[in-house]
Amino acid sequence: MQHFEFHSAASIEEAAGLLAEKRDGCRVIAGGTDLIPALRNEDFHPDLVLSLLEVESLRGIREDDNAVWIGPLTTFTEIVESEVIGRHFPLLAQAAATVGGPQIRNRGTIGGNIANASPAADVLPAALALDAELQIRSKASGEKRVPLAEAIEKPYRIKFRPDEFLTGIVLRKLDAGTRSAFEKLGRRNAMARARMNLSLVLRQDPDGRVSDLRIVPGAVMPVARRMKKAEERLLGKKPDEKWIEDVSNRLVDEMTGVTGHRWSTEYKVPVMRNIFGRMLKGIIV
Amino acid sequence: MKKRGIGVGSMFYGMGYGFSRQDIGSAEVEICEDGSVILRSGEVDYGQGSDTIFCQIVAEELGIRYDAIQIITADTFTTPNAGPTSASRLTYVTGNAVLKAARALRNRLEEIARKMLGEEDLVFVDEEIFSETHPEKRISFATLAKEGHLRGVAMVETTWHDITTGDVDRETGQGNAYSNYSFATQLAEVEVDTETGKVEVLRVIAATDVGKAINPSNVEGQIEGGVVMGVGYALTEEVKQEKGYVKTENLGEYMVPTSLDIPDIETHIVEVPISSGPYGAKGVGEPALIPTTPAILNAIANALGVRVTDLPANLENLHRLIRENEKNR
Repeated sequence: MQHFEFHSAASIEEAAGLLAEKRDGCRVIAGGTDLIPALRNEDFHPDLVLSLLEVESLRGIREDDNAVWIGPLTTFTEIVESEVIGRHFPLLAQAAATVGGPQIRNRGTIGGNIANASPAADVLPAALALDAELQIRSKASGEKRVPLAEAIEKPYRIKFRPDEFLTGIVLRKLDAGTRSAFEKLGRRNAMARARMNLSLVLRQDPDGRVSDLRIVPGAVMPVARRMKKAEERLLGKKPDEKWIEDVSNRLVDEMTGVTGHRWSTEYKVPVMRNIFGRMLKGIIV
Repeated sequence: MKKRGIGVGSMFYGMGYGFSRQDIGSAEVEICEDGSVILRSGEVDYGQGSDTIFCQIVAEELGIRYDAIQIITADTFTTPNAGPTSASRLTYVTGNAVLKAARALRNRLEEIARKMLGEEDLVFVDEEIFSETHPEKRISFATLAKEGHLRGVAMVETTWHDITTGDVDRETGQGNAYSNYSFATQLAEVEVDTETGKVEVLRVIAATDVGKAINPSNVEGQIEGGVVMGVGYALTEEVKQEKGYVKTENLGEYMVPTSLDIPDIETHIVEVPISSGPYGAKGVGEPALIPTTPAILNAIANALGVRVTDLPANLENLHRLIRENEKNR
């Protein structure tokens, strides 16, 4: 049993003030679907657990001409059911729909999924494939924006200063005609950690040449990221069978370049190659 | 590529412990002065529904409402030892003890009713006892119960049912090991994603010989529950060990199927009564589970031409077999 102080902030300013004061000894909690099990496992011993759940301004989905802002307290269920997300970022809705089961999706939040930076996260890789930006707040520095890709430091670690916290996720709208795909492989059809997942975003010129490609495998590397070397291979090309095979080989090379050879590699390499190939073929025009 | 296959699994199962191991059940039935009934038995209902079955047996024998029976079980202070809840044996063994107790009390009540009504052909139905030829001659169950108490007739009966068998020949292994056997066959249809090793069970058709379904909904539930366990055994559930230490520490890692992993299950209750079961009933718990895994593995073999010999047939294990099979071609 752990002993810590618990406080539920009523506003962003109050949360920023408390974090500035407590600094290292504080853990921020939203839905708690990751943090509560970690507290039970005694993975860390905070002095203060600071809940943001009552900060209403950290909730909701707002759209302007160029971008969609998602409050970090937005639940997976809200993302799955959002008309705005469904229209602009079906990839994100598909990823959110594979998290846990209905209870976890009702409770868990996109902010938590990103800030927890689990290597097996489902929504985090989709957000990377959408080139998400994070709004980060602190009492000392106010609000700043950081690309999600630069914010991830290591497994379970976002490069936040102890006094910083997440106040928004910003997704720029994609150009018309951009297509995407998401697939998750788990040991069962619900309540399963990803053995691997894959997020793809693809845009082709009118003549079929690839003008934008983003490939983000999840649960196969310590930290999810865009596979830029593989992506670059297809840029400007018309994807055919040969190119797809070439890119899938690059993709798994890039993957094993990071992880080295592990017990799971003999499964993950051929299967990543397979699902990448069939997902890409599914969205090529 | 997605490949489909169909497989069959069949089994017969020896009910109870067999092999001369002790196999007993017991029950105590008491008829109170107001006509309500208390049933005591040391058995444990851990969700499979044995309490329901026993109350149904008492209600059937005495012609009374199911909800007039109070059941007290698994209390070492008040209930007689009924042996363990295992081996699919409760209905078959303890059910017989309950039946014997209820029937003995009914015979005593019938004797009293014959004297009171002056009729021989009595039936116990809907809380009343009446003559089939002269239905106007009738008495309520509660009145008859009170009469039993007033006349000093024993209104409590404790019974013991023993199905302990002989043993097989120790030299040859031959002989009749069990008191009785039940039979079941299941068909499974699967779809295997050869690119990932993922198996979807599309449907299961289960036919189980239960002797007599004392409660058909309960039997259906048992069969469906058995299939769910069989799907998990075949595809996901695994206890990992390392140097003798169990490494699968919790149900987050021991993957029991969820409702999204379970296909439509078509149940067929087959009733071939046996004389040694209460109303002809056999056990159904384990027989419902045993054919599922072989049916699924046979369906995988039918789909892929690859035979799974290590469980579970999870993503990695099945994909390894698929790869090896491709190499050997």
